[in-house]
Amino acid sequence: MIAQQIINAVSLGGVYALLALGLAIVFSIVGLINFAHGELMTLSGYALLASLVLGFPFPVAVLVAVSCGALAAVAMERIAFRPMRGASVTSLLLTSFAVSSLLKVVFQNGISARPQAVAMPGWMTGAFSFGDFTIGVGPSISIVVSALALIALEVFLRRSVTGTAMRAAAEDFDVVRLMGIPASRIIATAFLLSGLLAGLAAMLWVAQRASVDPLMGFTPVLKAFIAAVVGGLGSLPGAVAGGFLLGIIEVLLQATLPGAIAPYRDAIVLSGVIAVLLVRPQGLIPAVRAQRS
Amino acid sequence: MPSLYRLHRAALCAAVFGIAAISTASAEEIIIGAATAQTGGLAPYDQPALAGLRMSLDELNAKGGLAGKYTVKLLIKDTRSDTAQTATVAQELIDAGAKIMITPCDADPSISAGQLTQPLGIPTLTLCGSAPVLTGAVGDVMFGTYPADNVQATAVADFAVSEGKKKVFLLTSPDSTYTANLPEYFGKVFEKKGGAIVGRGTFSMGQPDFSAEITNIKGLADKPDLIMTAAYEPDFPAFIQQLRGAGITIPVYGADAIGTPTIKALGKLVDGVVYTAAGYAEPGSKLEAFNTAFTKYAGHAPESTYEVNGYEIGLILDQAVKTAGSDDPRAIRDAIAGLKDFEGITGKITYAGTDRMPLRPVALMRYEGGEGKHVETLIPDAADVPAP
Repeated sequence: MIAQQIINAVSLGGVYALLALGLAIVFSIVGLINFAHGELMTLSGYALLASLVLGFPFPVAVLVAVSCGALAAVAMERIAFRPMRGASVTSLLLTSFAVSSLLKVVFQNGISARPQAVAMPGWMTGAFSFGDFTIGVGPSISIVVSALALIALEVFLRRSVTGTAMRAAAEDFDVVRLMGIPASRIIATAFLLSGLLAGLAAMLWVAQRASVDPLMGFTPVLKAFIAAVVGGLGSLPGAVAGGFLLGIIEVLLQATLPGAIAPYRDAIVLSGVIAVLLVRPQGLIPAVRAQRS
Repeated sequence: MPSLYRLHRAALCAAVFGIAAISTASAEEIIIGAATAQTGGLAPYDQPALAGLRMSLDELNAKGGLAGKYTVKLLIKDTRSDTAQTATVAQELIDAGAKIMITPCDADPSISAGQLTQPLGIPTLTLCGSAPVLTGAVGDVMFGTYPADNVQATAVADFAVSEGKKKVFLLTSPDSTYTANLPEYFGKVFEKKGGAIVGRGTFSMGQPDFSAEITNIKGLADKPDLIMTAAYEPDFPAFIQQLRGAGITIPVYGADAIGTPTIKALGKLVDGVVYTAAGYAEPGSKLEAFNTAFTKYAGHAPESTYEVNGYEIGLILDQAVKTAGSDDPRAIRDAIAGLKDFEGITGKITYAGTDRMPLRPVALMRYEGGEGKHVETLIPDAADVPAP
């Protein structure tokens, strides 16, 4: 029972970590909290649905969906955020809200206000059993995919030139540009990565929810934002730590709170966030450079 | 010249006012305000219901309007599934002269609109809001139209008991009246008829992860043989996906909000799930004829029984205006409240003697192989229905 809840917590934490990381990558480079990140997830979800309806095999459909998320993120940067480059944090924030609202309405009116069922393959609802201990295939995939994505990102940031430039840009963008690295490339890569992470998170999210709807991006982006703030805005390790912490606290509270208090779960979680920020105002693992906010 | 000019003007005046007088005399118009969700979480429920209502109003207008006399002008405003916005648009509709108000498929926004219509005596009908506390929370102008939650829950409980179910787990969410109360009504009836509630769990609407709750269900010492919930989209698909994913095969029963194409499209995942509807289209029934007519009208088949429920609202209003003999809101209200054994499409609808939640049949349905199969249609015994 306890081991089971730990698996649940890690699985949810992994998804939150992917989401928070997507927000943090963009924030660390351009100082924008992209509230339209959730709509990238929604878009990937619809892309998955469309691919499955068109009869693509499941792995191909997932690939198409994740690529759609990544491309949409790059397009979003090109269309909405590039003209706003250099604008104040507030303007950027409002732009991201505008993009988010716009996409939601497009999904609602262009596709359907009704959630669409996504038939996940039967094996995803299966479970392994060891005696009376069972692990669902869904949570296992969730944990494995999150871990692989985090490792791959770490390798990219440490080993590739673009990755190194991105880490440097997070600390001091002007110096990186003086080194002859084009700003647009760095920023586009940051959005591409955040889109990839959003796409992956969307696949895990949809696998657990079996449906996509126009508003599905709202909750995850909120959770990711909380995780990123707790972890330390703009800090990538912080975002991962924040994501796992949030997932673990949520599952533990859900598992242990008595029925009468359970509805206050979110309030308790957010009080915990305030407590963490009181002790560590810059977050668990603060960004190397104080950010622009 | 001035005299000629004056003459001209007089003639013009006469012409204008003459026409105006004729137009008010010949075409009597009644404005129905629809404060309904076109976007947001309630849209998937409000839109089908509204489509049914429009169809009946179009048909009635073709025959001269309500009671053959009052042409209906339907004003529709989007509430964005937001309770505060519902009050705002309801006020706009009242200002535009609405004499009848239609509100969303949920108790909370309907109550917020009802707070505005109650003092003015404007009859207010919720499209498919089914919480029985809804009418009492507003007052005598507020009417439900769909089978009430406590009636639906009683029907499902009667069925579960008849199947020999003994132990139930109730999954509720305090976020809406519907998700909070319906399973509890079920529990009351179930316990009264010899069943036991072996556990309770809660969720937040829109919650991504049900794993902790599911692990709790799995860890129950006293294993339930049934899970009852009023969760709907997108929570119901998430819950059942994760429940089955955790290897739990206990049947899950719900109510009307899961009788939708989305849930049906989940296919094998929802096999055995029992839910309710406002009616079932048996061959040769009025409902089957309605479904054919609706398909012709809208270009697609009805998604659920919300369409026919909306259509019946039009019929109820027509009958009420006929009985009232005028377009006075208070007279219409009294006429609706007095309806008894009114022949709708799904069966007889009665308001007389109720607290304005109608007595009407409930159809029990069960998903099998991606299709909703009819189990039975019944009107639960009023003595069994728990108080709101």
